[in-house]
Order: sequence, then C-alpha cells, then structure tokens
Amino acid sequence: MGWLRIFGARWRGLLSKRQLDQDLDAELRAHLEMLTEENIRRGMSPVEARYAARREFGGVEQTKELHRRQRSIQFLDALVIDLRFALRGLGKRPAFALVAILTVALGIGSTTAVFSVVDRILFRSLPYPHDDRLVSFGDTAPFEANEFVLGPDYVDWKKAQTPFRSVTSFVPGGADCDLTEQNPVRLKCALVESSFLPTFGIEPFLGRNFTSEEDRPNAARVALISYGLWRSRFASDGHLPGRTISLDGRPTVVVGVLPAQFEMPNLGHDDILVPAALDGSTDRRPTARQTILRVFARLKPGISIQQAAAAMQPLFEQSLNYVPPQFRHEVSFRVRSLRDRQIQDARVASWVLLGAVLAVLLVACTNVANLLLARATSRMRELAVRTALGASRGRLVRQALTESLLLGVLGGLAGCWFAQLLLRLFVSIAPDGIPRLEQASIDVRVLLFALAVSLCSGILFGLGAALGRPAPELLTGKENRPTARGLLRQVLVTVQIAVSLMLLAGAGLLLRSLWKLETVALGMDANSVITAGIDLAAYRYPDSAKQLAFFHQLEARLKHMPGVTSLALSDTLPPSGGMQATFLSSIEIPGHAKFSAGTGGMIGYRYVTPGYFRALGIPIQRGRGFAEEDRSPRERPVILSEALAKKLFPGGEEPLGKSFRFGLQNGWRTIVGVAGDVKNNGLAAPADPEFYLPWKNETEGYFRSAHVIVQSAIHPQGVADWIRGETAAIDPTVPVTIEVMTTRVAKLTGRPRFTAVLLSLFAGMDVLLAGIGIYGVVAFLVTQQTREIGIRIALGATPGSVLGMVFRNMARWTAAGAAFGILGAWLCSRFLESLLFEVRAHDPFLLGAALLVLVAVAFLAGWIPARRAMQVDPMMALRYE
Amino acid sequence: MAPPRGEVLQGTLDLIVLQTLELMGPLHGYGIAQRVQQVSRDLLKLNQGTLYPALLRLEQRGWICSKWGASENNRKAKYYSLTRAGQKQLLRETESWERMTALMARLLGGTEGA
Repeated sequence: MGWLRIFGARWRGLLSKRQLDQDLDAELRAHLEMLTEENIRRGMSPVEARYAARREFGGVEQTKELHRRQRSIQFLDALVIDLRFALRGLGKRPAFALVAILTVALGIGSTTAVFSVVDRILFRSLPYPHDDRLVSFGDTAPFEANEFVLGPDYVDWKKAQTPFRSVTSFVPGGADCDLTEQNPVRLKCALVESSFLPTFGIEPFLGRNFTSEEDRPNAARVALISYGLWRSRFASDGHLPGRTISLDGRPTVVVGVLPAQFEMPNLGHDDILVPAALDGSTDRRPTARQTILRVFARLKPGISIQQAAAAMQPLFEQSLNYVPPQFRHEVSFRVRSLRDRQIQDARVASWVLLGAVLAVLLVACTNVANLLLARATSRMRELAVRTALGASRGRLVRQALTESLLLGVLGGLAGCWFAQLLLRLFVSIAPDGIPRLEQASIDVRVLLFALAVSLCSGILFGLGAALGRPAPELLTGKENRPTARGLLRQVLVTVQIAVSLMLLAGAGLLLRSLWKLETVALGMDANSVITAGIDLAAYRYPDSAKQLAFFHQLEARLKHMPGVTSLALSDTLPPSGGMQATFLSSIEIPGHAKFSAGTGGMIGYRYVTPGYFRALGIPIQRGRGFAEEDRSPRERPVILSEALAKKLFPGGEEPLGKSFRFGLQNGWRTIVGVAGDVKNNGLAAPADPEFYLPWKNETEGYFRSAHVIVQSAIHPQGVADWIRGETAAIDPTVPVTIEVMTTRVAKLTGRPRFTAVLLSLFAGMDVLLAGIGIYGVVAFLVTQQTREIGIRIALGATPGSVLGMVFRNMARWTAAGAAFGILGAWLCSRFLESLLFEVRAHDPFLLGAALLVLVAVAFLAGWIPARRAMQVDPMMALRYE
Repeated sequence: MAPPRGEVLQGTLDLIVLQTLELMGPLHGYGIAQRVQQVSRDLLKLNQGTLYPALLRLEQRGWICSKWGASENNRKAKYYSLTRAGQKQLLRETESWERMTALMARLLGGTEGA
C-alpha cells in the first residue's frame, strides 16, 4: 500500500502547489539563516558568512526543483502545464477556438444524437437476461411478415424439439379487454403460456407467475398486471397479489405484478397477461379451430441459430404434410434472433443514418485537423525554438495532442448539449413505428460513447499537426515552405469531398424515392375526407346483431349531418393494409378453372355501404356501384377491383353478370361492377387485387370495428365534433378516432420521410463543412504563395491567369475527391436499395446532380480566396516577409 | 592527508536521517545537517540542500512527520520527527545494513586473510 500513500501525498502536492512552495521557501530560508549565524559565531564577517552558507548549502533553486519533482506526479504535472498552455493558446485566438469547438460540437452532437437512437435498435441488450440466446421461430408465408406456428404444430414441436432450453408462445393480436369495475377502462391483454416469463428470464416484481395448472382451459381465471397499471390503477398497492378484479365482467385473481422494465417480445403495449390456456389438442381437421401462435425460445448453450434451424427442419417437414399441397412451396421455416424480429426493417435505415452521421463526424474532424495544421504552420518557428532549447519530440507531440484533446472534449461537451436538442427534434418529427424511439435518451452509456468519440476525434485531428517535425533550420530565418503539410491538407480536403459526395448522392436517392412515394397515384381522392374509427367493446357488444344495430343507428343519425357531400361505412380503410383477405385459389368462377398453383396470393375484401365509392372518389369503371337495395338479404352482388377483374378474366372477357364465390361457406354472388384500383397495402407495394361486398342490413360478417367515411366541404373540426356527439348519444363509452384522410395517407410516408430528412440534414452539414474546409485550404495556399503570385503579377501575369493558377490547383484535388466519391457512392448505394421506391440505386442522373452541387460549392468556396490572389499588390507581396 | 570524502548513496542518506531522528528526537533540517556532519566528522560531505528532497521522500513514505515550531533562537522552523512506521523501517534497514556490512567484511576479510 506504500505506493498508494506516496501517490496520495503527491496528488495533494499537485493540488496545493503554492502553499507547499511557500513552506519550502520559509524552511530553506531558515536553514540558510541558521547557517549564516553559525558562521558569524565562528568569526566570519556577515557577508562572508552568507556566501559560505550558500556554498555549504548548495544550489537553492536546484533543491527547490528536486523537491517539486519529488512531490508531484510528473505526468500529471506536465499535463497541467500542457492544459494551461493549451487553454491560454485557445484564449488568445478565440475565433479559432470557437470555430474549432463549434465544428467538433456539430460532428459529435449529431453522432451522439443518432447513436442514442440506433443504439437501442442495434446494440443495446434487450431487457432480458442473456438476450442473445432468445429467438423467434416458426413458419413464414408470403402473406405474413412475422413467423407464426399453428396450434397443433406447436404442440408437436414443443414435445419433440431438441435445440431449445425452453419454448413458449403467446397468442398474437393482443386482444382488447376491459377492466369492468367502477371507472371501467379499455386495456390490452396478452394471452401467454405459463412458460412465458421463465423462458424470457423475467421474475414478477410482486407475487408470482401463474402455474401450469392455471394455464389450462376452464381453470380459474388469473392475471399478471403490468407495473404501469399497478402504479396508475392500483396505487402501487403492495398487497394487490391475491386480490380479485373484474376483467371483461368475470372475476379474475391478480397473482402478480410485472417488473417496471418488462417488455413484450413483440414490443406491444400490453397491460395484462392472462394464461393462453392452449388445450394441447393436435386436431388438424380443416374445421378445427386453429390457433395461430407467436413462438419464442431460449437456445441451449452452444447451439447457434443456424444449428437450431437445422435441428427443427425435420419437424417442420413433418408438419408440412398437413398443409394442403398447393401451399407447401410457399411456406418455409425460419429461426431468427429476437432482436432481428423486433427491429424488422429498421436495421438498414439505422445503419445508413449511423454511417451518414459518422461521415459528418469525419468531415468535421478533417476540418479541425486542417485548422490545426494551418496553426501549426504559423507556429513552426515557436516549435523550432522549443526544440533548440531542448524540448524532446515526445514532449512536443504530447503538447500538441493535449491541445487537440482539449478541443475534442470541449467540442464534445458542447456536442452533448447539441445532441439533446437534435434528439428532441428527431422525436418530434419521427413517425410511429420506429422501434424504441420513445426510450431514446442521452444517458450514461450515450455520454460515455460521446466521450470516447470526443477523445478519438481529438487524437485523430491532432495527429497530423502533432507529428509534423519542426525543422531547426527555420531559426536561420530563411523562408521554408512546408510542402508536406500542404499536401496533407489537400489530401484531407479530397477525403471531405469524396465523403460529402457520397452522402449527397445517398440523400438524393432517398429524396427522389420519397417524392415518388408521395406522388404515387392512390386511385382515390383523399381531399376533404374525414374518417372516424369506431371500436366496440366485446363485453358490451358480444354478438354481431348488437354490433350491427349500433352501426345501423349511427348511420341513420349521421345521415342528417349538414354540409356532408357523401357518407359511407366500411370495415376497413385504404391505403394501409389490414383488410380481410382470402386466397386467390379459393375464388371460383363457373366455367373457369380454379387457380391451383399455390395460394395465388392474397385477395382483399371489404364490406362497404353504397356511398363508399363516391365518398372516396373511386371511379366505377364498368357496371354500377352498390345501391340501397343491395343491402337487403335477397341481393348478393359483388364489385371487383380492376386488377382482380383482369386476374380472373384474363382474356378481356366480360366480368359483369358472372357468378362469383370465395370459400365454400360463402354463397354465389353476381358481379355487378368493376371499380378502379386503389392502393390498399401501403404506398410502396403494388395494389393488391380486392373486391367489395355490400354492408348488409342483416348480420353478415364481423363488425366490432368500423370506419365512418365522410366527405364534406365544411371544417374537419366541425365534422369531427358532430360524429363524436352522435356516437356519444348512442353510447358514450364507445371511443372514436377521428383522422383526416390526407394525414392518414401522409403517415404512410412517415418512415421514408424521416430517413430522407435526416440523411439530407447530414448531407447538408457535410457539404457546408466541406465548403468551409475547401475555403480554408485555398486561403492557406494563397497566403503561402503570396510572394510567388506577386512576382508573377510583377512579371506581367494577368489576374485571369492568377485565378487560373489557383483554380487549377484546386481542381486537381476536387477532381480526385469527386472520383473517389463517385466510386464510393456507386459501391455504397446498394445498401440503400431496400429503402428505395421506384428509384434505381445506381441513378446516374442523381449522381451527376450531386456532383454538380458539390463542384459548385467547391468553386464558390475557392472563389473568395482566389479573388484575393488576383488583387495581390506586387509591391506588397515582394516586401512580404 | 585528508581521507577522501564519500559520496552519499541515496539509501544511506535515508538511514542516516532516520538514525539521527531516533537518537536526537524532533529536529529541523539545519539541525539534521549539522548532526550528520558532526557524526561523520566530515567524512561525508553532503550538499545540505539535498537533504530536503530526502526528507520529503521519507515523509511521503510515512516514516517521518513534520510540524512547524520555534527554534532555539525563536526562529520559525520545521521540525521532523520519527513515526512508528519510521522506527520499524529503521530497524529493518539497520538489520539489512548489518547483514550487508557483515557480508562485505567477510568477503574483503577473506581475500585479505588468504
């Protein structure tokens, strides 16, 4: 422990330097005086005595220096000196300091802000112990983005599987449920197995998990509630477990409370977990009720995802025997990590943004490196003097690095503040559906990242200036042109131009893709259309008769709304997906062969009231739309979309009047019309074929939720209030979600717009920084060449030829940067491919435009110093230096 | 002829200072220097200034401690005294020094005797 004490003593020495110096002075003075007195006593004269004392004592200053060195930590001492020196240096040139710090802050701030968002998506561990061992597995099919498992398969697989330590499932679709006590609330309930929490390694915060006995059909009802619900609804009651609540009108025992950081593996916001009570049946008859499950598992130690997939493959192939033959080749098996399942397509965009922001950081660092190099050039003489006085190379490098690290850290501090602002901006403009965005914050982990980035950038941009060797020949006073550094600076600018060009090209691609997406033909007229989504609670409207009665009443009331051009009800709305669907192969037309090569893809259908086509401005291209008479049970009409009509009647055959049936349980219908195609599966995907069925006055289908569609010239707020009022007049507990159709459409472009806006922002920053960098280097070179330019002008060079000289030099590295940039953009743009809509990743037109912008910026930035070069006064220039 | 003056080895100086403080009790730097010269009868000639870094080193190791006080002629001076750790250290160093001198004596005595 001795060294620790010494270190402590030295540390104190460092902190109370002045006090210790004074103490030592006093002590040494006393010593010398005592020596002098002694000498006087021995008979010397006072002057002689003092000299003798000095001689005996030895060098006072050397002693002090030795003492100082003994009591301090040399490295830290030097650091303090370096820091003071660096601070003084920055203080002396506030403009330089400000520009450098702002540039670094811009780079680090944007990097930190983006990192705080993508860290949650790409790197940070999920809130489960050993989260990297968790996987999701199941069948994949063209009609579903996530893997799923059918109930009977699940029962078989769970018994026979080998690669997983435990397997669990939940029933997707997080059903609404209602807490039916006083102040009833609508909640989200998830149906999970009793093995759910143990598989994810989660312990309830209070109480216990439900047992496998409680997870059986017809067992007494139990529930686990979320931490949030426990706080808000049950006032953090520690004795809640064991209490009975009323859930959907049935008594349910709360057995436990989930921990605060608990998260559903599909990132759903469920308030209550209830046992799924799967009955363990392996009934595979077509009439059996087949549950669809989301299945998760924890891998056994040492098993990789690929191994697990290989081990499950035989089980999957067995189950495939039960799949109707025509579907088999469309179904495959997949195991993927839980993270992959959660972030879905956010991965590409995350990497693109992270890459873009690192490019901004690189360009910012390059700019600061350039600034420092310029400053080092002007300080050559000072450094040469220090070398001549005996400063070692290492000492000078350390000094220079201290300076750049100080800049890095100061910039990092400002950057963290900037990151906070940027993050707030991101969150405010972000669309729905970016995983975990709401959790993003500048926390310790992100701050550590910012610190690491600051230090790395400090070293990165300091290195060039630090490693330059000061030449002692400079002291002779002869002119010395530091060509090597000039070259380094030009290389740095070349890098800037290349990187900026790549970003600019990427941003161009995304913007063009966004523009295409926003101007895509919807097939309908979204203007002045207002929609109201209405969801009926299952416990209040348990059967379709009651549901239908509600909507019937609502329709009757809304008909009298003033200023409404047209009104319609439908179960689902374009252009987002989510409509009911059937396979093409289930559709029959008499006299036509049924489609039998696979499922044929999904064919969507909606129930609509007659006003639907008019309200949304969907053209009826042939035949007629629905009429009120079609809503009586005797009429069985159907209207096809154009795409479906083409698919079913490929030879230009007349569809009108033909019979049509989908699924054996549905009766025959008559095709009465063909409507125009409408985007119904998001904006990017081609419109799925679909057909329309009339919304009947009698029970048919499933109507727990529906949309009211109103086209009206009056103010949306008035319409919204009217709909709310009329709905509340029938049943005040029914929630109504009002949306303006144009907003609803715009939401679909939210994700691409977000990515495009951010990438453009970063590209803009990059180009700005590169412009500043080019300006700096050209100005530096012009200053360096002032004398040469002066001589040329004196010898008769025209301003034009001087300008040409400056630009020729600049053109060389701009061209080099552009060449590398084009190459880089060409190579990198394929990473963007999955984000693009109707734009080729290698679009020469866009690349050319980006190049043009960059070259324009480069020449604009070069123009200012170049003009100065033209105006060099030869007399002044020759006297220069 | 005057005997040649010995150079002061660093470890030796430490030992001498500790031994002096053990014998004389609390002393200021000047006193220690005087005492060292007196005892060594000018065999050892040290620049008195070099004493101070040594004192600091010993203090940092916790073997001595210092306190401001008044000297005989009422001058403000810093007094150094041995700590318990210092006493133990002195004992250790004396032992090792004795071992070393015994070894040297045997080595040199052996060659003389042969």
